[in-house]
Amino acid sequence: MRFEEQLIDILPRLRRFARGLAGSAADADDLCQAAIERALKSQGQWQQGTRLDSWMYRITRNLWIDERRASGRRGVHAPIDEAAVQIAGDDADSVEAGTLRGDIDSAMARLPDEQREVVMLVLVEGYAYREAAEILDVPIGTVTSRLARGRDTLMLLLGEAA
Amino acid sequence: MTYDKAVIAAFVDGELDDLTARRIEREAAADAALAAEIARHRALTDRLQRHYGPVVEEAIPGELLKLLARAEADAPAPTVDTSLAARREAKRTRFAPMHWGAIAASLVLGLTLGTQPWQAPADVSTDGGALVASGALATALDTQLASNQRADAPVRIGLSFRDRTGRTCRSFEGTALAGIGCRSDDGWTLERTMPGSRQAIYRQAGSGELAAAAAAMMAGDPFDDAAERKARAEGWR
Repeated sequence: MRFEEQLIDILPRLRRFARGLAGSAADADDLCQAAIERALKSQGQWQQGTRLDSWMYRITRNLWIDERRASGRRGVHAPIDEAAVQIAGDDADSVEAGTLRGDIDSAMARLPDEQREVVMLVLVEGYAYREAAEILDVPIGTVTSRLARGRDTLMLLLGEAA
Repeated sequence: MTYDKAVIAAFVDGELDDLTARRIEREAAADAALAAEIARHRALTDRLQRHYGPVVEEAIPGELLKLLARAEADAPAPTVDTSLAARREAKRTRFAPMHWGAIAASLVLGLTLGTQPWQAPADVSTDGGALVASGALATALDTQLASNQRADAPVRIGLSFRDRTGRTCRSFEGTALAGIGCRSDDGWTLERTMPGSRQAIYRQAGSGELAAAAAAMMAGDPFDDAAERKARAEGWR
């Protein structure tokens, strides 16, 4: 099968991953478009026989992180680490009031990027820890600790704490 | 509860070896706190999957498909390479269209042979060497709207669009056959055919290939709901 056709097969899942990262459908499709363009341009770097889906997820994720860092510098978004601090600070009241309960999009949006991408890869896309670690180019221990923190926060925000 | 959270998470994520996983299962049967913790983890995974799952079912935006179709059209001609591997590859590539044609032909044959007087007419017939839709497939192409089709419809209509020669074309997927039909005076000529969803092994490759083929044939954008309705009202001309 041709490279482009294989990309089309991956696209539905890639759009889901991008939706999780970017939050909105429009931003997610912009991200997918950028990822496809990048993939077509650097097609030669993909090694036949290795998984194209992992490669595409890595490209998409790297583009997203680049974009977030750039907009962070421009002051459009809160810096990555601030989200974590915020969650630690204002949990009880808003959760108790039910303002966040049940809203997965806003709960995901409040996760730091590096936790959100692990949550998407493992819990939604179903990658093994080892595969997620390869996509993100981090040790497995980093994947499990980010995943644990992401899970805790989501359970808290979504009202699934015991 | 004797397990820490990381182990429970790994259990729910299917990361533990079988032996440990079975031990946790056994203990959870007798340990309500452990069972509750497992359930809590599973509930989060389920919720996330239910939330994001529908994105996979959405139609892929035309811009993304076009980007890929354009790249495919612009792909450079294969360079001359005399190595054995390259020759094998070339042979395989040349064989590919014939391969699909052969599958389509055998499907037609199968459908024809399978046709008995008491059965509905086959979905495909030949007209001067061209494959044309007939029976239920022709009816679906004539009448079914992608925006308004029953979930259990035997034939699913995908994209409707105008091709570069001005014909109206529609992609479809059935259990035996999938492809693209284009409307002419004599009915729906099948421009592309491939095995349908029953041939599960081809399924994943098939839908991507179909979408790519449609994108490559397309002039302008695929029809939206209103354009599809209008085209139907005008007999797909």
